[in-house]
Amino acid sequence: MKNLRNLCYSAALAGAMATGAAADGHGWSLKDAAAPYAGTTVDVVFLLRPGYEAIEAMLPAFEEETGIKINIIKHPYENALGEQVRDFVSGGDLDIALIDLVWIGNFAENEWVLPLEEVQAKFPDAVDPDLDIDDFFPLVLNAFGGWNDTVYGLPFDNYSGLMFYNRCMLEEAGFDGPPETWQELKDVYGPALTKDGKYAFALQSKRNETQSADSFARVLWPFGGSFLDADFKSNLMSEESQAGLQFRQDLMQYMPDGIVAYDHAETVNAFAQGDVAMITEWSAFYSSVVSPDTSKIADCVEIAPEPKGPAGRKPALGGFSLAVASQADEDEQAAAYLFIQWATSKANAREYLERGGVPARQSVYTEDGLEDFKFVPALVESWQDGVPEFRPRFAEWPEITEIVQEWGTKMMLGEVTTEEGAQEIGTRMEEVLEDAGYYSGDKRLAQ
Amino acid sequence: MRGQVPRKTIFAFIGPAVIGLAVVGIAPLLYAVWTSLHFYNLTKLRRVEFIGLENYWTVLTDEAFWQAMGRTFFLLGTALPLQIALGLGIALVLHQPGLTLVKTLARLSLVLPMATTYAVVGLLGQVMFNQKFGVVNQLLGGADINWIGDPENAFAMIIFWDVWQWTPFVALVLLAGLTMVPGEVEEAARLETKSKWTVLRYVQLPFLLPGLVAVLILRTADTLKLFDMVFTLTRGGPGASTEFISLMIQRVGFRGFDQGLASAQAIILLIITIVLAQIYIRVFYKEV
Repeated sequence: MKNLRNLCYSAALAGAMATGAAADGHGWSLKDAAAPYAGTTVDVVFLLRPGYEAIEAMLPAFEEETGIKINIIKHPYENALGEQVRDFVSGGDLDIALIDLVWIGNFAENEWVLPLEEVQAKFPDAVDPDLDIDDFFPLVLNAFGGWNDTVYGLPFDNYSGLMFYNRCMLEEAGFDGPPETWQELKDVYGPALTKDGKYAFALQSKRNETQSADSFARVLWPFGGSFLDADFKSNLMSEESQAGLQFRQDLMQYMPDGIVAYDHAETVNAFAQGDVAMITEWSAFYSSVVSPDTSKIADCVEIAPEPKGPAGRKPALGGFSLAVASQADEDEQAAAYLFIQWATSKANAREYLERGGVPARQSVYTEDGLEDFKFVPALVESWQDGVPEFRPRFAEWPEITEIVQEWGTKMMLGEVTTEEGAQEIGTRMEEVLEDAGYYSGDKRLAQ
Repeated sequence: MRGQVPRKTIFAFIGPAVIGLAVVGIAPLLYAVWTSLHFYNLTKLRRVEFIGLENYWTVLTDEAFWQAMGRTFFLLGTALPLQIALGLGIALVLHQPGLTLVKTLARLSLVLPMATTYAVVGLLGQVMFNQKFGVVNQLLGGADINWIGDPENAFAMIIFWDVWQWTPFVALVLLAGLTMVPGEVEEAARLETKSKWTVLRYVQLPFLLPGLVAVLILRTADTLKLFDMVFTLTRGGPGASTEFISLMIQRVGFRGFDQGLASAQAIILLIITIVLAQIYIRVFYKEV
């Protein structure tokens, strides 16, 4: 009888924990907090990526507990910004903004999203006492959800650039581990691993955000370069930036032909098929390359932090936060906040991780039993070394990224030199920034 | 007679069409003109201001705009003659007497490429022209041609798909023109000469001209607004090698969110299209 009682108690506790609904010492419960908003529908844009599938799979528990319906509108990444901008400009239906870190300035300055503090002040009963905002990795919270010292969104789908390498190919070539530096990758690993139709490395460089974020910026920062200097003038002609861009040109000899047409899918696929020994990709693609269903080399996959450059590791940083939309009505705002809080909660972080998501909660990575998630140590290390302005997060980024995409690709194709391309990007970038009012002092130099 | 029809009746018949046209065609056009005269960025709506012709000046002095325009006309100049030549050949073959069932099946199959959604053509292209796994390289004996990642090859690929999709349209239009040639005239011409070229040049071509002018106008307009297939296939890349004018307008308006500048580009494109259509009609079109 006692055993049965214990079993029932354990099952009930586990169930409550799983939905994040456990009443804590403060007497707060998700069910009670959501009661006034039962029946509310919350509209949100999701991407077609593993982190979103993970939370979607967990969603029935939330909806059952709260009576709040989450209406997910799925878009590929490339459409997500446009769809949301049009919705917010026209006073549409979205109640939650899905914010890539480079969109945060745009969304905050246009007041399409509410500051977290404002939402919490508006709906004090909805605030989970266990929210523990300090548990988020500070870099991630600041970069993904913060703008001008104000937090708007909570980190939801979180990435850091990692090095995925094929241990079997490296061992066959006589290496017992991945390169520690970019230089080593090019000079030592490149020649040894590029042969018989196989390539040492692939750097996704398609002319879209991939070119700006995954390719161009990735070689700027580790070499000490950056897009802008302290006065917001172009820093692309600096010795360090040029060194990084020239390095990318030199590294291309160890990449597959047509690398400028490679997006994430092509790059991950080339790695998963065993055609490429190493890639630097987002942590979010981990589940794809270790699944035997989608990877021929699942047993050979190992993860390391991105290589270091002369200026340090400075890995790629990317990811999304969720914020409450200002255009939503009060009930929708409260319901949206409850969902965001639940989806990013400490209580759900483990399940989110196990289902293929990457939570930004520090606490979950200290738990036992994470051996199967090989990317965790590299991810945690990367989130210590990252730079929030890896790509400037101001409202002008959508215009600037288009310039970088065009001229960055031209550099890679050899249509212009790295100096000519950087000069052109710099000139155009400064025109955009001048027009926005950064040089006249109308806008604060925040990126 | 016309004077006897009450004005109310005239308005009742014409009114709905005029109102429909005004709502779906003229109003957006006027709005685009208004937008083109303003600084109008979707992400900076607080800064909307009248700037006169500045957007037009920016477009007309933008090297990238004219490069995109040049690429578009180069595509038109290469794909359209191929479509007309191949389309005429197909039309002449289908115009031959006999083999009715085969010709009917051939006509039906001609509709298939046209019925394929543009975006799907692009996606098909991505798969078929994949350097490693694509069927095209397999058919070329396991060639290792980098179609999508090489600027020249990517352009050639766009020409291929445009020709594949629109040659049947040209063929069907020209076939319709050939059926307009009076049988007795064609028969008499064939008795006069054995030269097929002479029959084509002096008997059939005059009947083909209206169709050819229609093809020129429609294909020019289609090429100037070619978007879906290229967007899904190359997204304008690599570099800017397949960034045609409509892709550029979409990029400026919907990825850079500068609706004012994009509207100015679109208005200039519209003017160019109208001028070209007028030139085609004046130079080529003749009543039979």
